[in-house]
Amino acid sequence: MKELHFEYHMKLSFDTPVEKHRFTLKCVPRSGERQEISDLSVDVYPKEFLSTYKDSFGNACIYGHAEGKHDHFSALVTGKAKTGLAPSETAREDYQIGLYRYQTNYTAPGPVIRAFADRIPFAPDATGFEKALQYMKELYGHFQYVQGVTDISTTAEQAMAQGAGVCQDYSHILLSLCRIQHIPARYVVGMLMGEGLSHAWVEICHNGHWIALDPTNNLIVDDQHIKISSGRDYKDCTVNQGVFVGQTRQTQEASVKVWE
Amino acid sequence: MENKDMDLYRHTDTVNELLARYGVKFGIYKNNEFHEQLFPFDAIPRVIESDEFAYLEKGLKQRVTALNLFIKDIYGDKKIIRDKVVPEEFVYASSGYLAQCEGVMPPKDVFTHIAGIDLVQGKNREWYILEDNLRVPSGASYPMIARELCRRSSPKTFQQNHIADNRNYATLLRKTMDYVNTGGHTVILTPGRYNAAYFEHSYLAEQTGAHLVTGNELIVENDHLYFIDYSGKKERVGAVYRRISDEYLDPMNFNEESLIGIPHIYDIYRKGNVALLNSPGNGVADDKGIYYFVPKMVKYYLDEEPILHNAPTYLPFYEPDMKYVLENFDQLVLKDVAEAGGYGVVFGSKMTAKQKENFITLLKKEPRRFIAQEVIDFLDIDIMEGDQRVPRKADLRAFVLMGEEPMVWKSGLTRFSRNPDSFIVNSSQGGGFKDTWVLSQ
Amino acid sequence: MGIISVENTDRLYWLGRYSERVYTTIRLFAASYDSMIDLYLNSYEDFCKNLDIPNIYTSGENFIERYCFDEQDPNSIYSNLIRAYDNCVTLREEIGSETVSYIQLAMYAMNRAKVSQSPLIELQKVMDNLLAFWGIADDNIDSENVRNIIKIGKRVERLDLYARLHMPQTEMRREVDRLAGRIPRTCLKYKKENLEMLKTLVESPEINYYEVVLKVEDLLED
Repeated sequence: MKELHFEYHMKLSFDTPVEKHRFTLKCVPRSGERQEISDLSVDVYPKEFLSTYKDSFGNACIYGHAEGKHDHFSALVTGKAKTGLAPSETAREDYQIGLYRYQTNYTAPGPVIRAFADRIPFAPDATGFEKALQYMKELYGHFQYVQGVTDISTTAEQAMAQGAGVCQDYSHILLSLCRIQHIPARYVVGMLMGEGLSHAWVEICHNGHWIALDPTNNLIVDDQHIKISSGRDYKDCTVNQGVFVGQTRQTQEASVKVWE
Repeated sequence: MENKDMDLYRHTDTVNELLARYGVKFGIYKNNEFHEQLFPFDAIPRVIESDEFAYLEKGLKQRVTALNLFIKDIYGDKKIIRDKVVPEEFVYASSGYLAQCEGVMPPKDVFTHIAGIDLVQGKNREWYILEDNLRVPSGASYPMIARELCRRSSPKTFQQNHIADNRNYATLLRKTMDYVNTGGHTVILTPGRYNAAYFEHSYLAEQTGAHLVTGNELIVENDHLYFIDYSGKKERVGAVYRRISDEYLDPMNFNEESLIGIPHIYDIYRKGNVALLNSPGNGVADDKGIYYFVPKMVKYYLDEEPILHNAPTYLPFYEPDMKYVLENFDQLVLKDVAEAGGYGVVFGSKMTAKQKENFITLLKKEPRRFIAQEVIDFLDIDIMEGDQRVPRKADLRAFVLMGEEPMVWKSGLTRFSRNPDSFIVNSSQGGGFKDTWVLSQ
Repeated sequence: MGIISVENTDRLYWLGRYSERVYTTIRLFAASYDSMIDLYLNSYEDFCKNLDIPNIYTSGENFIERYCFDEQDPNSIYSNLIRAYDNCVTLREEIGSETVSYIQLAMYAMNRAKVSQSPLIELQKVMDNLLAFWGIADDNIDSENVRNIIKIGKRVERLDLYARLHMPQTEMRREVDRLAGRIPRTCLKYKKENLEMLKTLVESPEINYYEVVLKVEDLLED
């Protein structure tokens, strides 16, 4: 167990001001069996109108709009998190989480992933959890962590074909592999101890529990990760989505700080 | 009806002229250009006796009630999956299943506000369900206005026959919309003037007294939906009969490229602050693959025997069905579950040897993608061609509206194929329509 | 439901304008057509000049064909009727199917005129339907606001055309009076100072027609 402080900051700058901006943010961690969030502060600019809801994956969402002209849009989320409170999170019944067993546009395997999956020999009585661990280990050995060679639209198959990518790609590939084996698996966005960007990992369902695996670091998540959101793939966890009126170039910066 | 010569039959041209006068048209795109086309009307009606309709009515209510419960279950507890009545792959691999709709319950638990159920009658007089349409079924406006014009053209016919008045569709629709309205105005949301069914959108708005709007006339604010009037005043909207498909409804929740939707409308729907007719995500229940399971749903949810039958259907997904399909290929019609509007339908008997071989390869590779059905020997209905009566294939779209109780409209859209050999009656493929009479005694 | 959107307000106004434009230009065309038959073959040149439309026509015959019926010519009567029709079909629930049907009938009559050997006879039917349209609009539309917006469109267009044609003072005065009497009875936002200016302009012994066109085109707030 750890008591962590966190600071998530996101800023979108517009070179020409925009208006009639409508947005949805998924950047607020929630308390659950594995983590307890306290001293939460959420600061969004502009804050003409903000409201909250829980999406279909159980994620905390903030939505709102800003009618007037503004040249940037930002969110600062700070708070404390007690992590590692439990080894896993209770899942809904197996027949209720079927949607996590099916591939999405991001995770659909092609020949490269299929060939990779076929090469991995499992013990005849291997459980879903053991298979997932083995996939993670093999993937970690095979795939290179390289920034800038993939982007947010890269699919698991594309990333696997070039053999390198970032946490999003590791996660999509592991999802793809687990789902080939019909293991329910979901994509997770969150924060990792230290300073940097937001992080992505995977949760697989085993015996009625979601167990978190971090394929980028080849480890079972313990108390160094703070979870923000989860879904079938990257798209379900998009941190910031928006539409606005205005011809502009936008630049996004984001930073994450987690310390003890 | 055995009456071979009714006064009305002489008025096919008159009624068609009147339909043209009132702009009863549908839009189609040819070479990327928008064209408006008249929907040809034939004056010989489809006639359904009152006791026969009572049977249909009972069966349709039962079916739509079960479908509504299915959608609620799929986006909620999923008991039908637990009890292995419907295999989960048919749910999650369906393009109509939307994960965004998980756990979202609509006002008064109504999902299928307006259902268009397509039926055919066989030569054995038996009715078969061909397809359920639970997304944005269209077509009610055509028989509605045609009846009005038939009565004007040939009052005698309507004096001499006891025909249930079908011009109450607007009242039924209004009741359906009012039942789920969460407070405020009722609007009909259209993609715009260049949509195929624009006439229907505008006509239903006129007839129900709802406001016809496009996406840019509505706005989400303070967790509610508003219509902005000329002076800038915001009027709350409580029910949206939306005639745009799920994917374009809300760029923040569905297709983010959509320019005709309303950002965040789904977020306030989730909170119960507006009713959407029909509910997003309904496509999971009218998929051609799910169709096979509808009679099983009736038994499962209602503990009743299904009153109306599907056309005999096989799912190559199941091994014994695959075997049957391969053995009886020439007697079957095969449908691609991902296609709609009469597309993706092929007859085993009409394929060349090479086509058949290719098709079977595909079928074996993707068995879930197809269903196979026995070819039903349709009971033809006559149409007038010049002075001649000639038989044509025809189907019936029945409309079931779900308010406090399911209501079946005492009429329907009867479409016929122009081509004597064609089984396809879709208006986008050149057919016409007839009035549907339900006799009141 | 008593409320009306910006979009529909706009469409009602332009339905009024285009229906009037078609009606009056057919009337003007019919007058000039008569003289073009045997008297003054090139009178179409004056016609274009008066209406301030580019003279892109090569002969009297070419003018008749294109000015009346060419869909590609944005100034043709045909194009203006299409614009009226396009606005009209999106207003079914505001003005009613019966009202819409007369613009639809005018469109059909126009298409028949296009292929007719004696287009003037068929164009008369276009006018008949437009007259019936205004009649039913007046009779059948419940909302006074909706009725009046169409009429404002009609009045603005007529004043505009009359000014371009340098119509006599009595007619100009009458059109300004009709416009001024009705516009406050709608939800339309207009520039009061321009309306006042129009009233003054038509009282002057030498009407500055050019100024009238400018003011009338700039009457409504954007």
